[in-house]
Amino acid sequence: MSLYEIGNLAVDIAGTRLVEDVSLTVEPGLCTAIIGASGSGKSLTCLTPFGLTPGIATGSIRLDGIDLAGADADQLRDARRRHTGFIFQQPLTALTPHLTVGAQLQEATMQAGSARPSRSELVQKLERVGLSRPDERLDQFPHRLSGGERQRVMIAAAIAHSPKLLIADEPTSALDASLRAEIMDLLDQLRVEQGLGMLLVSHDLASIEGHADQLLVMDKGRVVETGPTADVIANPAEDYTRRLISATPRLDEPSPKLAGPGDELLETRDLGVEFNRPGWRRGIILAVANAAIMIRQGESLALVGGSGSGKSTLGRAIAGIGPVTRGKILWRGGALPERRQRTLEMRRLIQPVFQDPVASLDPQWQVLDIVTEPLRNLRPDLTRTEREDLARQALSDVDLAKDFLTRMPASLSGGQAQRVAIARAIIAAPQLLVLDEATSALDPLVGAEILKLLHRLQEENGLSLLFITHDIAAARRLCHRIAVMDDGRIVETGDLQEVIDNPRHAATQRLVAAS
Amino acid sequence: MLTRHFPLVIVLVIVALALSLPWLLSWTYDQIDWDAVRAPAFSGSHIFGTDEIGRDRLARLAAGTQITLMVAIAAALVSLIVGIAWGATAGWIGGRVDEAMMRIVDGLYALPFMFIVILLMVVFGRSILLVFVGIGLVEWLTMARVVRGQVMTLKQRPFILAAEAAGTPPIMIMVRHILPNIAGVALAYLMLTVPQVVMVESFLSFLGLGVQEPLTSLGILVKEGADDMDMTPLGLLLPGGLLVVILVCLTIEGERLRDRFS
Amino acid sequence: MFGLITRRLLTAIPTLLVIILASFFLMRLAPGGPFDGERPLDQTTQAALQQAYGLDRPLWEQAWLYVSRLVQGDFGPSLVYRDFTVSELIAQGLPISLMLGGLAIVLALAIGVTAGLFAAVRAGKAADKVIMMLATVATALPTFVTGPALALLFGLWLGLLPVSGSGDGAAWLIMPVVALALPVSGAIAKLTRAGLASVLKQDHIRTARARGLSETKILFKHGLRPALVPVASYLGPAAAGLLTGAVVVETVFGLPGLGRYFVQGALNRDYPLVLGVVTLYAALIILFNLFADLIYGWLDPRMREE
Repeated sequence: MSLYEIGNLAVDIAGTRLVEDVSLTVEPGLCTAIIGASGSGKSLTCLTPFGLTPGIATGSIRLDGIDLAGADADQLRDARRRHTGFIFQQPLTALTPHLTVGAQLQEATMQAGSARPSRSELVQKLERVGLSRPDERLDQFPHRLSGGERQRVMIAAAIAHSPKLLIADEPTSALDASLRAEIMDLLDQLRVEQGLGMLLVSHDLASIEGHADQLLVMDKGRVVETGPTADVIANPAEDYTRRLISATPRLDEPSPKLAGPGDELLETRDLGVEFNRPGWRRGIILAVANAAIMIRQGESLALVGGSGSGKSTLGRAIAGIGPVTRGKILWRGGALPERRQRTLEMRRLIQPVFQDPVASLDPQWQVLDIVTEPLRNLRPDLTRTEREDLARQALSDVDLAKDFLTRMPASLSGGQAQRVAIARAIIAAPQLLVLDEATSALDPLVGAEILKLLHRLQEENGLSLLFITHDIAAARRLCHRIAVMDDGRIVETGDLQEVIDNPRHAATQRLVAAS
Repeated sequence: MLTRHFPLVIVLVIVALALSLPWLLSWTYDQIDWDAVRAPAFSGSHIFGTDEIGRDRLARLAAGTQITLMVAIAAALVSLIVGIAWGATAGWIGGRVDEAMMRIVDGLYALPFMFIVILLMVVFGRSILLVFVGIGLVEWLTMARVVRGQVMTLKQRPFILAAEAAGTPPIMIMVRHILPNIAGVALAYLMLTVPQVVMVESFLSFLGLGVQEPLTSLGILVKEGADDMDMTPLGLLLPGGLLVVILVCLTIEGERLRDRFS
Repeated sequence: MFGLITRRLLTAIPTLLVIILASFFLMRLAPGGPFDGERPLDQTTQAALQQAYGLDRPLWEQAWLYVSRLVQGDFGPSLVYRDFTVSELIAQGLPISLMLGGLAIVLALAIGVTAGLFAAVRAGKAADKVIMMLATVATALPTFVTGPALALLFGLWLGLLPVSGSGDGAAWLIMPVVALALPVSGAIAKLTRAGLASVLKQDHIRTARARGLSETKILFKHGLRPALVPVASYLGPAAAGLLTGAVVVETVFGLPGLGRYFVQGALNRDYPLVLGVVTLYAALIILFNLFADLIYGWLDPRMREE
């Protein structure tokens, strides 16, 4: 008998069926993973049977021999309290802000009816999840801890009452790439030590590979394919799974064909960006220090680093939409001034694309106005009709039909919105695109499409790209060279493949290991 | 529309009556009927009776409502303009300028502002123009805070950065991207400012510091009614009730609008 | 924490000074003076009075004199109530105003938080809608309407409570306090309800729910404190509102509080009296805001660090 077993599960919310015919089992000490894009119903599948979503679950649900199908609210509460631990995606907000770490851990320990734990027991629990200085942490409030530390506290609390089943809903998605592997390894270790069964949910195939024993691939509320993880990845039976696997960038996939670069286009010399510390206190924050990078015509440079490494700040400085405090930016050997002093001609050369596609478009404007905004300022010589012709051309360049011109941003999907943003970036014929995590917020299949589109645009137009990302494997599909940033400094540069094969700086090694 | 926006309909009916009644009634608001002092309701041509010196209550209610609402709208517009200008400037420039400007707002929030306004009224005489300038200057603080918050969040949005990269000059970014995106919220808070202003104006008039005789406002009518309530309770209940109905309806509509935009 | 208090008290001094000086010069710009009675006084008496009160000196000198006396706790003489100093008038009025305001805010918090909590627990049900409708009506009840209306109903018609004056016992306090507290309690109920509604949707509530805690425990242990943050930030403006409301209530119910002295003083150009009351009010409001800041830090530890 399995530890946890669901059969023919269906989930309805307000009369709409969102999940249908899902069956899975979780065995003690093993991990079952559900993978799928956003809206595939993966989180509903694992949380609704425990009454943690507004949905209604039907089908057979058995936890450790107890039937949960048709259980009332009190019985579900009991099932959560005694036998199950939960880890959620957002470590920043999943802990109660006004209670100390110790108070929350104590509550979690006592949830299944244990006696009040002693302080040394609580310290032990934090030690077990690898938290440094555990004694001090007990008296701290969650906001004093970093994201990774908070997620460790969440894990400690989730297993504090010795549950049999651990449900982890995207436990690493909100963390920096280099932390993800550490957290997944910790979960593996705890699972084996305590014979915990684990149900893991993720949108990222790469993050669960090597950690999950069983794999379910979900799409649009249904199971596409299921089986042992290694088998499914090695021999996918379904087309959707194949596309998902090929969409997920890997370091060991064959190198892409990239066109050879031309002359030197852009160079930064000793570039520094400083911010005043917020508040009235004196002092500055050094976001970028002594950054030196170079991009050739037709070349893509990957700018890789963790969150807070200063990579976006550097990208914005280059694109002329962020401050520069010291140093120089050179364009074909000539100086490119700071943001306010850039002429329209200089602005035309460099255009940005951002991470959040929906926030990149003014919600009050229709697509035509959004896409032609650069032309109205940068090409005042064009007539209205000429602008509209160019807009149609730009939309077809990003594979959107021309009837998108009259759409409003709210009616676009994430992928469509990002295509519109790219169309706006390329319409005035720039020579360099600054792509700030341009594929990170998209589902894997959509992100892979955008990568392909960028690759094509680069080949056709000889565009140069500055591809800012935390994901080396994704960068490898597009980029010739890499610059690694850590704590505001460029710590390593070189040919992308060479750096992957032989990373020298510790930050690079962490990023490569995490991919 | 009629059932969903019932409060708005009530306000519109009140406004329509306040505007049309003076043309229809045979008495004006300041005309004294020497034959009918403190006449009860429905006596002769006085539908709601007369006050302690024989003026028609209904005519005075209509005139008072007109003045009160006029002052309210004018003062709310003053607060809208000052609030948007201040809040948008602080939010757009950011940094130390923003902090200094917002400290001023915080400081003013903490002031016994009403007392300063009372001083203003005493000092500069009690002209109706000053009433709404004074009130508007009190009520702009909330608007400034809301607008500043909106501008701060909008400014971080990538589409503003994209507009800068597209060569759109800062003033056009303000006009074409930022202001249209805060219009909804500003409108909602404008709606909520109106009842606030009604309350402040009536408060001042009640103390004898707002609108002056021979003009009248709901606050003055409440005051007169309160002074004479042991003789004719109607004099207090009519303007008081009308004032509360207007305030409640405007508040409900304003809150609905605010919830829709936030 | 200690740093916050000292910093706030230090910024309070310039704020107070600005208020005092602004009010001082405003009053003096006004046409008319304290000795313009029904019958104009003759020139010599006028001049003598002016000199006696130091009104013939240059304005800046007067302002400086006023502030330096104020630092020593001397509010100066009242120009209208000539047998009293302003300090004596304040000593008489302040306890009444403080009692009115203090009781009103306690009552408003008790009613408001309870009603908001109850509505949030019953979210979407009839009880929630009724409570929220009542709260909206309450916020729109101006003190100068409810005050006289209460007096009419309970005083004149039912004869249950005294209509004016501060007699023996506590009965005279009931109507003024209720009239003051009603609009504030409505606002607090709405803020509590909205605060809880947004907090109960947050991730940490889901974590608590995943632990199998009872809904009551989730509400009180994990939900209530962060939900009261908006209430705490409303306390400052609420205090200012109560003080202005007190002006009306004291006038309507004939109570000799600070508010009445203020209105009388303003109408009669009693400069020292008006200045004294404004200074005191400003200091009270600044103190109250500091108090609200401290509550803030307790409700949400993130606010303790700036």
